[in-house]
Amino acid sequence: MKVRSVKLREAHKAAAAASGDGRPSFSSVVWDQLAHHIVTASASDPIISIHDPLLPSAPPKLLHHHLDGVTALALSPNSTCLASGSVDHSVKLYKFPGGEFETNITRFTLPIRVLAFNKSGTMLAAAGDDEGIKLINTVDGSIARVLKGHKGPITGLGFDPNGEYLASIDSTGTLIYWELTSGSTLHTLKGVAPDLGLDPSVMNVLSWSPDGETLAVPGLRNDVVMYDRDTAEKLFSLRGDHTQPICFLSWSPNGKYMATAGLDKQVLIWDVDKKQDIDRQQFDERICCLAWKPVGNALAVIDVTGKYGIWDSVVPSSMKSPTEDIPNLNSKNGLLFFEEEDLQEPSFFGSLSDLGEDSLGESEPPCRKRLRKQSAFENDLDEDVGDELSLPPKVESRKKPYHTHRASKEDGNEGQRGRVTSMRLKMQEAFQPGATPMQPGKRRFLCYNMLGSITTMEHDGYSHIEIDFHDTSRHPRFPSMNDHFGFTMASLNEKGSVFANSCKGEKNMSTLMYRPFSSWANNSEWSMRFEGEEVKVVALGTSWVAAITSLNFLRIFSEGGLQKHVLSLDGPVVTASGFKDELVVVTHATDCLPSNDQMLEFRVFNISNRTQPLRGRLPLTPSSHLTWFGFSEEGQLSSYDSKGVLRVFMSQFGGIWLPLFSASKENKSENYWVVGLNASKLLCVLCKNSDLFPQVMPKPVLTLLNLSFPLASSDLGAEALENEFMLNSMHLSQIQKQIDDFSGAGLNTASLDDEAFNVEAAQDKCILRLIASCCNGDKLERATELVKLLSLEKSVRGAIKLVTVLKHPNLAERFSSILEERLLAESKETSRTLLPSSNRNVSVKDDIAVTRTPFSTEKSSTLGTDNVLSSSRLSAPLFTKKAKSQGAKVEMEKNKLSQTTTDDTGKAKKVEQVTNPAKVAELHQEQPSRPLNLFAKSLTNQEKKAGDADQVQSSRPSNPFLKSSVK
Amino acid sequence: MAGQSDPHPSHFSAQEVEFMAEDEIIEIVPNMKMEPLNLICGDYGPFFPQMVTQVPIWLAIALKKRGKCAIRPPSWMSIESLTRILESERESQEAFQVLPFHYVEISRLLFDHARDDISDIYMVRSLIEDIRDVRFHKVETSLESFEDARSSAVRINNLSAMEVNIVRPFVGRALQAFYKHGSPDLIPNPERVSNSISNRWQQAPDQGQRVC
Repeated sequence: MKVRSVKLREAHKAAAAASGDGRPSFSSVVWDQLAHHIVTASASDPIISIHDPLLPSAPPKLLHHHLDGVTALALSPNSTCLASGSVDHSVKLYKFPGGEFETNITRFTLPIRVLAFNKSGTMLAAAGDDEGIKLINTVDGSIARVLKGHKGPITGLGFDPNGEYLASIDSTGTLIYWELTSGSTLHTLKGVAPDLGLDPSVMNVLSWSPDGETLAVPGLRNDVVMYDRDTAEKLFSLRGDHTQPICFLSWSPNGKYMATAGLDKQVLIWDVDKKQDIDRQQFDERICCLAWKPVGNALAVIDVTGKYGIWDSVVPSSMKSPTEDIPNLNSKNGLLFFEEEDLQEPSFFGSLSDLGEDSLGESEPPCRKRLRKQSAFENDLDEDVGDELSLPPKVESRKKPYHTHRASKEDGNEGQRGRVTSMRLKMQEAFQPGATPMQPGKRRFLCYNMLGSITTMEHDGYSHIEIDFHDTSRHPRFPSMNDHFGFTMASLNEKGSVFANSCKGEKNMSTLMYRPFSSWANNSEWSMRFEGEEVKVVALGTSWVAAITSLNFLRIFSEGGLQKHVLSLDGPVVTASGFKDELVVVTHATDCLPSNDQMLEFRVFNISNRTQPLRGRLPLTPSSHLTWFGFSEEGQLSSYDSKGVLRVFMSQFGGIWLPLFSASKENKSENYWVVGLNASKLLCVLCKNSDLFPQVMPKPVLTLLNLSFPLASSDLGAEALENEFMLNSMHLSQIQKQIDDFSGAGLNTASLDDEAFNVEAAQDKCILRLIASCCNGDKLERATELVKLLSLEKSVRGAIKLVTVLKHPNLAERFSSILEERLLAESKETSRTLLPSSNRNVSVKDDIAVTRTPFSTEKSSTLGTDNVLSSSRLSAPLFTKKAKSQGAKVEMEKNKLSQTTTDDTGKAKKVEQVTNPAKVAELHQEQPSRPLNLFAKSLTNQEKKAGDADQVQSSRPSNPFLKSSVK
Repeated sequence: MAGQSDPHPSHFSAQEVEFMAEDEIIEIVPNMKMEPLNLICGDYGPFFPQMVTQVPIWLAIALKKRGKCAIRPPSWMSIESLTRILESERESQEAFQVLPFHYVEISRLLFDHARDDISDIYMVRSLIEDIRDVRFHKVETSLESFEDARSSAVRINNLSAMEVNIVRPFVGRALQAFYKHGSPDLIPNPERVSNSISNRWQQAPDQGQRVC
């Protein structure tokens, strides 16, 4: 007997303390695959330590997740996953070597004693004082089987390296061979190992030889008994110097040697082939766990006081190294644990699937499963007790209630494998626009809008809420407040803020609270409590507060707290937003489609009028979810989805959503967290580094992004111009609609007219540039189309000059004929508008005179003749539009025109006008048959017309041309 | 304007250089809403809360003093970029790194008026001081050797306003002197020339020290 000592280091102080009290505790030690780390745990210490064997003095990495002592450790064969079982009845999974907690993969009703991974790492067996052995699918956490048969606490588990059997042993000494495919017992050997009673620090163990041919079990006569793999016959035993029963044994990686630890505090090394002990070591305390170093000649030992050490050069150098000739059973050895296990499914998995255990072999992206696992398991427990094998349909149904945002991203992969069925995108949860998710220890936004923000941070027991306005000069500082309700949603406008919390447990009722920022009465804040109902979304508007609850009720309160309306919505709410009198609510219309698209519906309520002006489907990018919803500064409905598409509701085409921004066309490295938008810009916070939302500190800065239609790449290469063109025409139509609304309501539209004129001018500028690029690209047809869209006469002349410079004379001629047509049509329209108005009363003429002078203010003129003015103003833009297509009708109007020549405004000129239009109209009609002649004549006409143009303009009071001439 | 505070021509005081630097443009984040400012030097704004806008430094400081905005330190004033610049400044004894022309003044102004807007202000400050010291030292050493160049001009790239300002009087006069003594037709009387050389050499270091 050689005298060598292994130096032991203290790893678990709690274990040392416990053993000092006479309570030895079972401790575990495990090497990782490459021998870079040693993991230790003790049954009296809830902490798992990951040590670096090369730097023994460096402090170990500690995992503090268990509540009670850790009785079992297991590392997946490729060392990416660490499993631990504890006296606290839970089995936890960690990433390895990082040690990040992954999940509670299962729970027992009694302490866990032992864990074992199968060779491929797809299956974890866990057992303990409970009567059953749970076989857990590590991929999704589903329980494949529960094996029942043992009468005492199960202390040893071992998967056959060939993947066919599981061996288990209990503290009474009963050994059972299980067949994995069927879950039935093959052999039950009673009383083969010592009966250890109820001392949890001593465990019967077993170990398969690495080639899987023999199973080693401690025998009754202080020996190790070897059993045959298939027949479970006793093959031979190793007997030697152990004077008390063996409590742990471990095969060397190549299966040539075995290390055994006995209750006599000795560790023996055996040469298995010669059935002889070759070395031994006496320790101060009983060694309760041994682990061979996977590479090299060393053995890690840990004793019942939680001290661990490494015994180097265990096998004498004269003999074969314990890691030489490791039997290579199959290629499953080094596969990655978290990826694509199903591709290398061992044979028994296939047959399990045949049984209907589809959850087992299913190929779902693992990360999603992890998220789902935890709660799926809590359900599992109940179900497993009764019937182990009737799981499959329930597994299916359990999966649905969980959805993650990632789900949609991974669909592509999944669809290829054709197993999408069980993985639906779940209908998204309710959210508050402008809120960020909860992050432990950090302040988060409950509400962030264009006005300000509400932030909260949880301290122990209560939260600390702060309200900040962006514009500090206009709004007073609002004192921060302590929130004992734990509000999780909030909304903010100029007048006040509303808060609500979701109910946590039975005692905590959902509460809604409103705080006005200023009120003449003190104590004007109010709160509402909801019994059996949970507030999901809140919204604020002018003197109303809305709350949408889990019962699909829309509750509307007045600013003072009066319950005004309770309405029923027809689906679970997604989000809501308020703007002045309008409330918009988004709800789920139906369950998701099989294509992962959500069906959302929006409704707009006008609270003060009690009307519902709009409702309809809310479009979303396929397989995305809504991330922001609200109103633009101008009150336009807008939505933003997770694929980065902003949509704005427009009244054109009878009410339609237009995609006005697409993040995919912008910088890819940044995420846009939308805050709001105005007519031409999107306001958002840029989040770098793939963060999806901003932090409260440092204060987020708003970035302005230009709105842009997701245009196709055109052969013109002038997308920017085309985009500007579309945006301008959209704005024009918006303004036009507003003008209509205003004039319908008898309001003054002067400022809108100005705005319309400015946009028109900008639009013409844009069109001219487009014409230039069309000419450069030789797209003459397109250029002609564009010219027809020009609204100012000056711009048409500009276009003619432009194409002349660009050397397209035929285009120039075409343009000038278009111009003539238009002038003709306009002159006709003018006289038509003048005719009725001159008949009506004299004031109109006065009015016209006033508007014609450069210093006239439109307001003054509207004082007396509001109606006439607004009607004529309204008609003017419409007429200009009509004029474009009305060349042919001119002749029909000729008679009327000749009547107007008696009118007192510009008699002499009118006569010319009337004759000219007649000519041009004729020309126009002849155009298709005699194009060449037309050009010759139209050129001569054009010169005459130039002189007339001013006159035409001045006679039309509200034509945009007037302004150009006045200016 | 030049030389108002100093009898020597073509020499600005540090305050004057700083005054000129105040026209540089900087980004601010206002916390109020304000119409655009139409000033002689240009139009700035409109100002919206929490939206970045660009204004001259003097305006930024004026707003900052009234608590109306936060100043965003320019991108070169980050620790990473300053560390990189300092390293490369130390590496090469000849070349100067590209920094804003008024970096000394801008950083000084921001340290004085917008302390709370600069993260890690102590680190940034010490880095900028280091960079300045390294560069000033380089300027001095390179001037020591320029008499060998036998040229009538000194060429140093990427010199900043403050650095130029410090060496300008000395270099200007020294070059003048070199030019005078270098051209043979201007040496009628060897005695007078030697006299004047000694005078010049006495003067030049004098000035250099005072300026620095």
